[in-house]
Amino acid sequence: MVNVHAHTLVPEHRVMNEDEIEEFLEEYDIDRTDLPKIVAGDAAIPDEASVGDVIEIKRDSRTTTTAYVYRLVIEG
Amino acid sequence: MVITQSPKEIDSIGFGLMNPEEYREMSATKIITADTYDDDGFPIDMGLMDPRLGVIDPGLECKTCGKHSGQCNGHFGHIELAAPVIHVGFTKLIRRLLRGTCRECSRLMLTEEERDEFREMLKTVRSLDQDVNDVTKAAIRQARKKDFCPFCGEKQYEISHEKPTTYYEIQNVLANDYPQLIAAAMQDEDDPTSPQELAEKTGIELARINEILGGTFRPAREARRSIERALDVDLTVEDMNKLMPSDIRDWFEDIPDEDIEVLGINAQNSRPEWMVLTVLPVPPVTARPSITLDNGQRSEDDLTHKLVDIIRINQRFMENREAGAPQLIIEDLWELLQYHVTTFMDNEISGTPPARHRSGRPLKTLSQRLKGKEGRFRGSLSGKRVNFSARTVISPDPTLSLNEVGVPDRVATEMTQTMHVNERNLDKAQRYVANGPERHPGANYVRRPDGRRLKVTEKNCEELSGKVEPGWEVNRHLIDGDIVLFNRQPSLHRMSIMAHEVVVMPYKTFRLNTVVCPPYNADFDGDEMNMHALQNEEARAEARVLMRVQEQILSPRFGRNIIGSIQDHISGSYLLTHPDPETGDPPRFNETQASDLLRGTSIDELPEPDGVEESEAYWTGRTIFSQLLPDDLSMEFISESGDTVVINDGQLIEGTIDSEATGEFGGEIVDKITKQYGTTRSRVFINEVSSLAIRSIMHFGFSIGIDDETVPPEAKERIAEAIENAYDQVERLIETYEQGDLESLPGRTVDETLEMKIMQALGRARDNAGDIAEDHLDESNPAVIMAESGARGSLLNLTQMAGCVGQQSVRGERINRGYEGRTLSHFKADDLGAGARGFVENSYTSGLTPKEFFFHAMGGREGLVDTAVRTSKSGYLQRRLINALSELETQYDGTVRDSRDNIVQFEFGEDGTSPMMVGSKEDFDVDVEHIADRIIEAEFDSDEEKRRFLGEVPQETNLSEHTERLRAAGVISDD
Repeated sequence: MVNVHAHTLVPEHRVMNEDEIEEFLEEYDIDRTDLPKIVAGDAAIPDEASVGDVIEIKRDSRTTTTAYVYRLVIEG
Repeated sequence: MVITQSPKEIDSIGFGLMNPEEYREMSATKIITADTYDDDGFPIDMGLMDPRLGVIDPGLECKTCGKHSGQCNGHFGHIELAAPVIHVGFTKLIRRLLRGTCRECSRLMLTEEERDEFREMLKTVRSLDQDVNDVTKAAIRQARKKDFCPFCGEKQYEISHEKPTTYYEIQNVLANDYPQLIAAAMQDEDDPTSPQELAEKTGIELARINEILGGTFRPAREARRSIERALDVDLTVEDMNKLMPSDIRDWFEDIPDEDIEVLGINAQNSRPEWMVLTVLPVPPVTARPSITLDNGQRSEDDLTHKLVDIIRINQRFMENREAGAPQLIIEDLWELLQYHVTTFMDNEISGTPPARHRSGRPLKTLSQRLKGKEGRFRGSLSGKRVNFSARTVISPDPTLSLNEVGVPDRVATEMTQTMHVNERNLDKAQRYVANGPERHPGANYVRRPDGRRLKVTEKNCEELSGKVEPGWEVNRHLIDGDIVLFNRQPSLHRMSIMAHEVVVMPYKTFRLNTVVCPPYNADFDGDEMNMHALQNEEARAEARVLMRVQEQILSPRFGRNIIGSIQDHISGSYLLTHPDPETGDPPRFNETQASDLLRGTSIDELPEPDGVEESEAYWTGRTIFSQLLPDDLSMEFISESGDTVVINDGQLIEGTIDSEATGEFGGEIVDKITKQYGTTRSRVFINEVSSLAIRSIMHFGFSIGIDDETVPPEAKERIAEAIENAYDQVERLIETYEQGDLESLPGRTVDETLEMKIMQALGRARDNAGDIAEDHLDESNPAVIMAESGARGSLLNLTQMAGCVGQQSVRGERINRGYEGRTLSHFKADDLGAGARGFVENSYTSGLTPKEFFFHAMGGREGLVDTAVRTSKSGYLQRRLINALSELETQYDGTVRDSRDNIVQFEFGEDGTSPMMVGSKEDFDVDVEHIADRIIEAEFDSDEEKRRFLGEVPQETNLSEHTERLRAAGVISDD
């Protein structure tokens, strides 16, 4: 099997811990469900991620070198 | 119209089904007769034009609310339907409910556990804003699987739906030929059964068996089953049992509220039985006004016609039923009523013939009024025709600033701006009114403080102007300097609508500076444009600050300028700054010439001359161009023509000014000036560059004709030779191919390889011809100048004019269509040679042969078709994209969110940067420090002030009397 996490085109996905999430939700003044979603079956998310977790994705960006985006893990 | 209510904030909008009781309650009257007006032309009571339904004739009073026409929105009436009918809008939902609920007890056929599970799923899906339909569909699928109701145990049948509004239950019933079927099974060759044996096996009396075999007794379900089991036959056929709307209504009435909750339906708002209509609302007359034709005849609205049909059938239905007509007739009438109610709501249902007008035109009923481009939403609400707008042909005027638009006087006298008269503009206002509505800076209307609006006429203007005083409003004509919006369709980006300042001009066309052609994508081959006059101070201020052409010089699409020199401007500045091929120096001008070149600009003094030649001072083109640059501009870049452009402190030291410097899509100098010196400086620069360039192209003289692109005979010979060589190559390739010796390239067949190699050889031939032609066209050739400076055309165009037009293609292949094995009857079949497959060896100058011309037309046609298809495809794609993105908005916290506050991007474009505000290239940063220095320099008079602003001298404010003591304690300020 191919390990997609090792692929150059797959950005780094990381499960955020609760403290981080709280701080981050506060910053944007949103609920967890307002976040963009990612399905639990997505091959790119870490194996330990479960439904309800928030994933931080660290992407390469042409303009800012790195860009961070956040996804809520949902069923599917 | 006076607005009496204050606007209210909409908190939420709910959608649901309407209770028939509610229809009756809100109804102004019951409608019972299909007639509209009586012989005297008065509306009939309880008819379709009942006066209680609202007023359309001005002057009359509404019988329900007492308001006048215009004030009264109209009131609904209602028709009591003789029998229930299905609402077409809900046929899919009805089908789902029929399939998911029990035919006997009407309960949703899910066990308690399943129901709870789905209810839970619905909750999560709702909280995550996902599609609720996914869950409800799954619930129905689950319920449908059950053959027996989990609550009452009733057997369930398949429901079939015949579009649009008929439903059947498919039941198995005893076939009509059951005696034959049984007899056939009993006489089975291997194992015949006697009636005696059958009676024993099934436990039915022998006499009965005989009766059944004789066809005189129909076995009941139990008996049928045991016979089937004993003989291993199927005695049933499928029977379609039609469900009448009344059956469906009864069925739905029994569905419990908590069961449909699982299907995403709120029973408080929407009981499922309301999907079967028993009462039909009649739209108010204001929604279907009748028109009086010139001959005095009344012509009714399509909706009224449809309602007449409904009422007629409704009455016939009732009469027939009361008279006890046979079931068959009743069912026919029922179906007819269903048809009319269906087409009343939607007249474009597939499988149903549309209801037609007497003339054969399909009727425009409710859903047709809303749907599509001309419908209520896209046609009347999102887009509507507006006042204060004008449209005419456009033509160029290089003397205008790019911010301006020439407005014909007859437009200016028609479109007005409102002046609020006060002490300070009283004189002007009176003068405008005195001029009347026809002399240009005049006025069309005045409004007195009491709200009365008076028309200014030729007759009363003198008299009226004396009466004008502060407090009045004057609708004066457009005058120079007014701001208006200017637009060319298709409005594909925001630069398609820009604000211009008015310059009133004679004649009938809108005039615009040629440099604004690129953002509008306009040319002057008959293009028309629209103008909108702004009607309040707020709009005018906003347009001036945000929408003026100079504010749109940079495009948000790629962050560089979209407005800049075009065509002749580029050729002109190229000629002005490019080294003369003969002397190797940029052109020189004497004093008269130099001043003449700068005549259209704000430069009124020549700089120090660059030198003296034959006792006359001269200026180079580069020096003259430098006069337009900001004094402290320094930059370096590679020009389109390939040399390095060096600008030092506002002096063009070296290099050619062409499309790369001042051009329309990303000219470096324009881009830099806009970003560092602001839009006003940039506007001045673009205007002056274009005016200088036009003067200089006129100084040099510039023209092109086909004779400019002819090459000398020796070049022609060389070109012919190059093509001849290619022909030989092609011959040889074909020969090897025919001998079967051609080796195929990896991944291709031999045929494909041959085609590729031929295409390559011919392509090379054309390039060679082009190179030869180019060698013989000197640098001063107009087509070469245009191609090199990037003004217009390319080397390919040149090659085709002077060298060889080259291979024509259709669908990326050499031309191979037409007859069997050949393109035209002039060739032998299976001729793969260059000429037979669309190679044009002539140039546009030498002229094409008839065969070549035909191939060229084939290739040309494909191009035309492609562009036509592309524009329609991309137009629709763009519409969908715009609709999907239109509500996204960048918030103050930098996130991009949609209208429900869902986050789409955490930082606008990942970097929170506007493309218009950043440097155009990586090594081309915007020099922020420089800008800051310049602004501070201009802002403050003394160094002291400047230092104070920059915070170098801390300012002690509001110091108390005890400062010294406090300072000793370490306190600096006490505020």
